[in-house]
Formats: sequence, structure tokens, C-alpha cells
Amino acid sequence: MLRGVSLDVARGEVVVVVGPSGSGKSTLLRCINLLVEPDEGRVFIDGVHVNTPAIRPEWVRQQVGMVFQSFNLFTHLTALQNVTVGLIRVKDESKDAAEAKGKELLARVGLAAKENAYPAELSGGQQQRVAIARALAMDPKAILFDEPTSALDPEYIREVLDVMTTLARDGMTMIVVSHEMGFARSVATRLIFLDEGKIIEEGVPEEVFVHPKHERTRAFVSKILR
Amino acid sequence: MAFAYRMRRVNLDRIETVLAVVVIIGVLALLGRILLGDRGLDVNYMQGIAGVFLQAAVLSVYITSLSFAIGIGIGFLVGWLRSMRTVPVGHLVRDFRIAAKEESGSAATRNILFSLTLVWSGFKHAVRRIMDGYVELMRGTPLFVQIFFVWSVLLVYFTNIPQRDFIAVLVAMTINTGGYQGEIFRGGLQTVHSGQVEAARALGLSRWGAMRYVVLPQALRLITPPLTNEYIGLLKASSLAFYFGVRELTYYTKQEAFSGRNFEAFVLASVLYLAITFTLAKIVQRVETRYRIPGLGIQAALTRGVRRTRM
Repeated sequence: MLRGVSLDVARGEVVVVVGPSGSGKSTLLRCINLLVEPDEGRVFIDGVHVNTPAIRPEWVRQQVGMVFQSFNLFTHLTALQNVTVGLIRVKDESKDAAEAKGKELLARVGLAAKENAYPAELSGGQQQRVAIARALAMDPKAILFDEPTSALDPEYIREVLDVMTTLARDGMTMIVVSHEMGFARSVATRLIFLDEGKIIEEGVPEEVFVHPKHERTRAFVSKILR
Repeated sequence: MAFAYRMRRVNLDRIETVLAVVVIIGVLALLGRILLGDRGLDVNYMQGIAGVFLQAAVLSVYITSLSFAIGIGIGFLVGWLRSMRTVPVGHLVRDFRIAAKEESGSAATRNILFSLTLVWSGFKHAVRRIMDGYVELMRGTPLFVQIFFVWSVLLVYFTNIPQRDFIAVLVAMTINTGGYQGEIFRGGLQTVHSGQVEAARALGLSRWGAMRYVVLPQALRLITPPLTNEYIGLLKASSLAFYFGVRELTYYTKQEAFSGRNFEAFVLASVLYLAITFTLAKIVQRVETRYRIPGLGIQAALTRGVRRTRM
């Protein structure tokens, strides 16, 4: 549950959201692409007020991609089909155009050789990179990452973070729920500490880590930096 | 090594099958010997009735397939409605109380929203209960009674429709298998992980799009075995139609049986029923192999490089 959260993300920004479990991080992300309908308050994307009956949630979700903690790749589709299904079924693109784009995106996340593999045949890291390519395929204005590395074995975390870092450097707008402090330090433009549905503290990552102002932030930071 | 192992496996399967067939034929021959004495099966007689029996078998397959096909539509809808998540009324009331306590929004908006949610959620509950009731009714009463009921309704209220007996059996079998398939589909749809739907929706697919392109292709692969089972059960249940004068396989079997050649008639009918179910099983097996996907469904153990142990 969120209470009075106000967040303004500029184009090209990378915002990392941290906070204890149950603090509302996932809910915050899901309110942005309306997977969770906010009870009140307003969500704007590119200046458009989106949580009104006048706007189809399907349209909103095309503007904002999402990457999940447990990947959620479509089990019955190959890596390439996972990337192209949105283009073909949502954006009505031709199969050829979609596949050309899909192959390009798979190459971009370093998985050109795996286009015909099914999710069950890929490692966790590979699956998550396909999931990122799937989100990218829709040409989103921003991508939401919901703990993208928490379900990964340690040896696969690096490759996913590398892809995310490249994305950020290329100017993608990203909101990332993650406790990867190395990633936050090197890539995030802003760090937000969420607790009990409220933004307790926000600022440049280095500031928040080194000089947390709030007592709760201090306690939390000391726990995860240990 | 793997190759040698596979060879041995296949040979064992073959031997087992041959053995089973030999045993079955032996038992039948023994039974025939006891029942028929030295007379043996009257092959000429069987050849004589084979044409009629074959035609009757086609009608059996026709009536079964037709009701099964319509049943798929009913089953999918019923299964979908039954698999939809509903929010308990208690939770709605709790959320309403919290909202009122925290004074979020105006009292009027809160009340209107609460009423609308309550009505909608009540409607969904009602639909689900009705669908549950439908499935229970179809599962819990004999098909024979169901056919009789439909037949008598048609007899009283629809005196003029052509082929009334056939229609009665068809309708009853359709709503019956629809109920059973509703249960099969509910199970299949609920087995598909909720994350799949969430990912589909997050991609911009509509509720129906997520069903059509993500959930259904996975669910169908999972429910192919129980659906096959249902078809076979329905085919055998179609033999009840003889009682209502539909000239399917059992109708002629019964007729011929009264002519004193019951063993010939029953053997022929059994062989035809068996041939149908066996062919179906083989076709389904091919379809399953053709559409098999690593990590999905019963064949999950059969991924590349891993041999199955025993199926």
C-alpha cells in the first residue's frame, strides 16, 4: 500500500528504489503501468494523465515496459518468439519485420545464438536478458525493473546488470527496484528509499549511502551494505 | 552408449506390446472356446454384418465428435469463468472501512465505488456459483438420466423437429461433456502460472489476447491427456443412444445379438470401438510429440540429452 508518494522521473533518468520488503516498491512499479489500479492519485506518462477511464491500460503498457523478478518468459515460445509476440500481436507488425527486429534485440543482449531456445533451455541470466529484449521490442518510453536479479544465481547477476548498465548509458529511462548497490552507485541518477508506502529519503546514491539523513534509512543502509 | 540404450528400450517396448496382444488373443480364444464349443466364430456371418456395423460406427464417431467439439467451446467458457479470481466480500468491506477511516476521497465517491465494486463482485460470484453447479450436476447425475430428461422435454415441447431422438441424444451428450470439459479447462487454465498473464498484460495484450496467445496455448498442451480421456469416455457413453433408437454401433450389436450370434456381434463391435480409440490415441500421441515444448507439461522430463526412464 502506498501513501502519498510523489515521484517525478525525467527522460533518461535511472531511478533505483530500495526499501524493506512490504514497503510498496513493487506496488509503486505496478501503479505506473496500471497492473495495479491506484485507488487515488494520478499517474502521468509523457505529460498524459493515464489512470483515467478515457485511456486504455493496454496503451499505457505499450509505453512502459516491464521486467519481472521471475522473468515470466512465455514458456511455450522460443526466445525469438518471446521478443516478437508483442510486436506481432499488439503492434500488428508483420512477422518478417518483427523477426528482424527481434534478432537485432537478441544480439544486443548477447543472445543471438539462442533465438530458437525455449525458456526452459536457458539459464536464469539468459532468460532475464531475453525478458529485457522483450520489453525493449515495444520501443517503450521507460522500463520498469522489479528486482531483476533477486531470483538469479550469483554467477548470472553480472551479465544482467551489464545489459542494464548499457541500456542506461544509451539513455533509456529506467525505474529499478533492486538492492544491487554497485549498480545503484555506478548507474543511478537518483536513489529512493521507500518504507511503509512512503518515500522516506531520496537523493544521489552516494549521498544517501554515505550520509543518510533519516534514522530508518541509516538502519536499512547499514543492513544491506554489510 | 545412449544409442545402445535407446535401441534396447525400443525392443523391450515392442516385445511387451506383442506379448500383451498374444495374451489378450489367447484369453479371448479360450473364452470363445468355452462359449462356442467347436462351432468357432462364424466368419462369413461377420463379413455379412461388417458393412452395416462399419456405417453404424461412423455414426457413433460422428455423434461423439460433434458433441465433443461443441463441448470444447462450452468447456472453455465454463472453465474460464470458473478460474477467474473473485475478491471475497469481506475484503471489500475491510478496504472500504480503511478508506473511510483514512478519509481518502470524498464520502460520496467512496460509497459509489464501494457499491459498484460490491455489485460487480457479487455478479462474478453468482456466475461462478452457477457454473460450479452446472459442472456438479453434469458429473453427479447419470448420463442416461440426462439423455432421458432432454428426450422427454423434446417429446413434449418440440414434437415437430426432425430426427428428434438423435437431437435429444446429441444435446444431452453435449451439455454433459461440456460440464466435464469445464472442469478439465478450469484445471488447465489455473495451472498456467499467474506470472505468465501478468507478463502478457504488461506487454500490452488485452485480457482476451493474454488468454488467446499465452494462457490457452500452454493450457491446451497440459489438458490434452484428460481431453483425450474425455473423448474416449464419451465415445463409449454414446452407446447409450441405442436405447433412444439412434442407429449407432450398439444399436445393431443389440439387434444382431438377439439373432443368436451374440459372440460374433459383440466381438465385431468391440473390435470397432477398440479400433477407434486406438487410432485416436495414436493420433493424439503424434500431435503431442509435434507440439511438445521443453519445460511444459507432462513431457517435462524429456528435454534434450536426458533420456526418459520409464513411461
